Amino acid sequence: MTNIEIKTWDIFCRVIDNYGDIGVCWRLARQLVNEYPFKVRLWVDELQALKQIWPSTQICDQQILDKVDVRIWVGAGADDFANDIIPADAVIEAFACNLPDIYLTAMKHKVSQPRWFNLEYLSAEDWVESCHGLTSVHPQLGLKKTFFFPGITAKTGGLIKEGELLDEIKRFQQDKPTKQLFLEQLKTQLPSDALLISLFGYENSAVASLLEAWAQSPTPIMCLVPPGKILPDVSRALGQELTVGDSFAKGSLKLQIIPFLNQTDYDCLLWACDINFVRGEDSFVRAQWAAKPFVWHIYPQDEDFHMVKLDAFLHRYAQTLDIDTQGAITRLWHQWNQGKDCTDAWNACLANLQNWQKHNQNWRQHLNSLGDLASNMVHFCQKTL
Amino acid sequence: MKTGQELRAGHVISIDGQPWLIQKAEISRSGRNTAVVKTKLKNLLNGYLTETPYKADDKFEDIVLDRKDVTYSYYADPRYVFVDSDYEQYELDKEELGDMAPYIEDGIDDICEAVFFEGKVISITPPNSVTREVVYTEPSVRGDTSGKVMKPARLTNGTEIQVSAFVEIGDKIIIDTRTHEYKSRAKD
Repeated sequence: MTNIEIKTWDIFCRVIDNYGDIGVCWRLARQLVNEYPFKVRLWVDELQALKQIWPSTQICDQQILDKVDVRIWVGAGADDFANDIIPADAVIEAFACNLPDIYLTAMKHKVSQPRWFNLEYLSAEDWVESCHGLTSVHPQLGLKKTFFFPGITAKTGGLIKEGELLDEIKRFQQDKPTKQLFLEQLKTQLPSDALLISLFGYENSAVASLLEAWAQSPTPIMCLVPPGKILPDVSRALGQELTVGDSFAKGSLKLQIIPFLNQTDYDCLLWACDINFVRGEDSFVRAQWAAKPFVWHIYPQDEDFHMVKLDAFLHRYAQTLDIDTQGAITRLWHQWNQGKDCTDAWNACLANLQNWQKHNQNWRQHLNSLGDLASNMVHFCQKTL
Repeated sequence: MKTGQELRAGHVISIDGQPWLIQKAEISRSGRNTAVVKTKLKNLLNGYLTETPYKADDKFEDIVLDRKDVTYSYYADPRYVFVDSDYEQYELDKEELGDMAPYIEDGIDDICEAVFFEGKVISITPPNSVTREVVYTEPSVRGDTSGKVMKPARLTNGTEIQVSAFVEIGDKIIIDTRTHEYKSRAKD
């Protein structure tokens, strides 16, 4: 097979739950179309999630959003997908979703077979390195597909990072008026000496202990909570039903429910805060680029298998930390992900906050050295199959 | 049909119309309770080896290969002719002999297993052990009868094998064909 010049991309995204699937695919699509001379079609099976993170989205079969051709993809059956679609030069099935049969058949009959990628989930486990970049052959159609893994090591595909992202973060974080204006738009009054924390997670009974620890904290804490799965547990812990616009105060803690933020503004939130609680894959990656201390609520899996993945990441992330800080972060992440009391672990992290802050600056440097996911994928396309 | 999750070493599956033997299948859990299966595969037609990942829900057609007992008949340059109990003949190139290649010589009567794909023999598997004559080896050193010291020996067809130090030219030896190792001298 010889090289074909890649000019067009099709990205297929099936929204299973939450905003991670569409969040990642939307960023990738925008980066490919804005930083490269490509045309990109993003096929999604439902638009409500995209509308939440990109409010200008319309609920219609086809639209152009930020130069991306966004199309609805109803299902995998032959009757559900248009039979006149010509597959792009490069095709991404995101998170192992299955492409429509009719599209696969069209790929088979295309004169130059598209470069086909399965974009897998982010994991720091060792096995990912041994599978990244390997090609498999479709059992029935003979089409070749490459497994492409996002990752945090040199033997994986890197993380999504727009070309201007680090400059943008630097400009935002160094420009106090811009940061102030952003917080004011959230109707947040930030006490000058308070630690600013964003709280985004799945359902978690541990939040009660965390909020109490913050209320008892020697340092004032301002916590911003966007609507999400953790809000009911927050309400329960504080003994009142909270919605957007509500605020709460107890001891050292001030807590505010902020509006759901679009993708751009959520990035700004991560950049503005001192510590970020994040979840899943998209916000987890963005928190790492923000280079602030973060606590990851990993997507729960059967038989607690997510703890294996959590530890795989912690092993790589925390290995250059001093023993005390490493121990504190590990304990907090474990307690947080197991729904257990976080009081002692939180206080230990607070005691080692300076080391934790410096470490995240170094961690971002390491991630930056890997190349970003989009450019790694584009370079991979230049290799002959 | 098998899914990726069900693949195991020893299964033979069809990929793009070709039969592939799964030599190894390692399942790793990915995100959201999905899984990736990393396989080591051998193409049964051309012997090509590859490492390939699949998704746990990828579907594969099972291949059940026909197998038949055959014995070696003669060499018709460049092909080796085997025959079954119905005297039907099957011709193979040297490359197709596979694990049988080191033990092929005139006059043998070992019962081998021929594996067929779409009516064509794709491999010959020898029995677990065969008996062959040593045509050359260095003389044994007097007193060296422990059996633990090994030396090279050559069989009738030129195949080299390590044998116990007390083995002499003309001895018949039993060989484990699965490991290509000398087991013992054959009793007369």
